[in-house]
Amino acid sequence: MTVIRVVLQVCICILFNEIGKGLSQLFHLPIPGHVIGLVLLLLVLKQEWLRMEWLEEGAEWLLGELLLFFIPSVVGVIQFKALLAENSLGLLFVMGVGTLMVMMVTAWFVEQLYRYRRRGHHGE
Amino acid sequence: MGNEEIFSFLITLICYMFFKSLYHKKKILFFSPVLICPILLIFLVDYVPISYQAYEKGTQLFTYLLQPATVAFAIPMVKHWQLLKRYTIELLSGVIFGSTFALFLTLGLSTIFHFDPIISNSLAPRSITTPFAVTIASQIGGNQSLSAAFVILTGVVGMVGGTWIIRLIRIQSPLAKGVMFGVGSHGIGTSKAFELGESEGTFSSLAMILSAVLGMLLIPIWVGLFIKI
Repeated sequence: MTVIRVVLQVCICILFNEIGKGLSQLFHLPIPGHVIGLVLLLLVLKQEWLRMEWLEEGAEWLLGELLLFFIPSVVGVIQFKALLAENSLGLLFVMGVGTLMVMMVTAWFVEQLYRYRRRGHHGE
Repeated sequence: MGNEEIFSFLITLICYMFFKSLYHKKKILFFSPVLICPILLIFLVDYVPISYQAYEKGTQLFTYLLQPATVAFAIPMVKHWQLLKRYTIELLSGVIFGSTFALFLTLGLSTIFHFDPIISNSLAPRSITTPFAVTIASQIGGNQSLSAAFVILTGVVGMVGGTWIIRLIRIQSPLAKGVMFGVGSHGIGTSKAFELGESEGTFSSLAMILSAVLGMLLIPIWVGLFIKI
């Protein structure tokens, strides 16, 4: 029973994706269909035209197994072996040092903003 | 579907399920399906007579499901709507600041290292969750596979380095910790944020979704401007 329910709920997400794709093509929008699908679903849920329980389990299954869905894409790097080997040091630097810098700057910024806004609210 | 395609589909599924349960028990980073499955499958496609074309065809159902998975991001947004409304300013400014910095740092470093355009365009959306990043990459002239690989490595670095940063610059608020993981290392970092606490994890997933939607709208524009300069 649970399996059928999850499959049907996943189909609702697929339906919204396809509607989004259709709209994107029809109106030649620069935004990809799945993002339009996300906005549509958000709207429908907020307006309570569709109840959360009707697709919650399916949506959580999709998000929970996200890793499975992009593994095949990663395997595709096999087509770029030479290019990657050539640039490996630079890439490791960007991904290693670059990521840590981004996180440090972001955390610092939000921490300062949070402290500032909290002081404001309490009138200290 | 031919035999090669069916085999590709099944081996990917089995490999994922096996390492998912192993990682669940052992928690050794290397056994995380996100790292070990692509490595093993690359060896497989390389050393047994399966063409990459057949592998790609056999696994296209999985790749397709990335799209409805993006649609599913609406659920956590509706669930945490109150939190989203209460911290709109902090979340939005943190996300805009952090992801703009991430993008320009990546573009700048790509210029310094003289990366091939296909690499730098695949690298640009690397801080954004995979289902969005692969679309952005293909829109700006990058490659989906390269982009997915860069996104994962970025996520793993952030997941390992995040707790170190929190100690180094003494971050205290769960909000800042969450936004840091969500903006810098998307879903992989978010799993780490949930280990720190429920609110850290929730803020991280909200920041991840916001930076994905913003990135989708802004990265193609920013990249266009950057190339003109």
